Amino acid sequence: MGLDILFKIAGVGILISVIHTALKQAGKEDMAQLCTLAGFAIVLLWVVQLLSQLFTTVQSVFKLF
Amino acid sequence: MEIIQIIGVGFVATLLILVIRTRKPEIAVQLSLVTAIIIFMLIIDKISMIITLIQELADKAHVSQLYLNTILKIIGIAYITEFGAQVCRDAGEGSVAGKIELAGKVFVLVLAIPIIALVLETITKLLP
Repeated sequence: MGLDILFKIAGVGILISVIHTALKQAGKEDMAQLCTLAGFAIVLLWVVQLLSQLFTTVQSVFKLF
Repeated sequence: MEIIQIIGVGFVATLLILVIRTRKPEIAVQLSLVTAIIIFMLIIDKISMIITLIQELADKAHVSQLYLNTILKIIGIAYITEFGAQVCRDAGEGSVAGKIELAGKVFVLVLAIPIIALVLETITKLLP
């Protein structure tokens, strides 16, 4: 648990924005859109795992069952 | 000094979000979500320490566990509702945030129903 997930997500964001620009310049609009979607899905996978961890912790600490 | 650590996490996250937001706003929202989770994970053990203290105090004062658990549940629901609503509001979805807050209020009221009923019962007993 630390900053590494933050840097990972920021790295994916910058990477897909660069790839998006490159593919757009090459005239492959649909591939660029697909690449953005793939990056979003990868990040969403991490975020959902973290979110479920947070919710479990909150449930156990505040005795919400 | 964990507060320094938390401020550091906040600054780093803010700068990263500023860089990402102009290009990919959807990733920026997820980044701010992760920041909120990390900061909460850093303070969660302190919160549980405070809660154990409150429970010990309540045991000493012979306060029923029912009331304490209800209050704890209400605090948890309030926190998680605020968290969700703020994330939605940051992403520009004020109406969704409003709905989440409404749901949170309803659940808090539902949790408070036994206590309200108890108060009403006591009042009706006092009245002749």
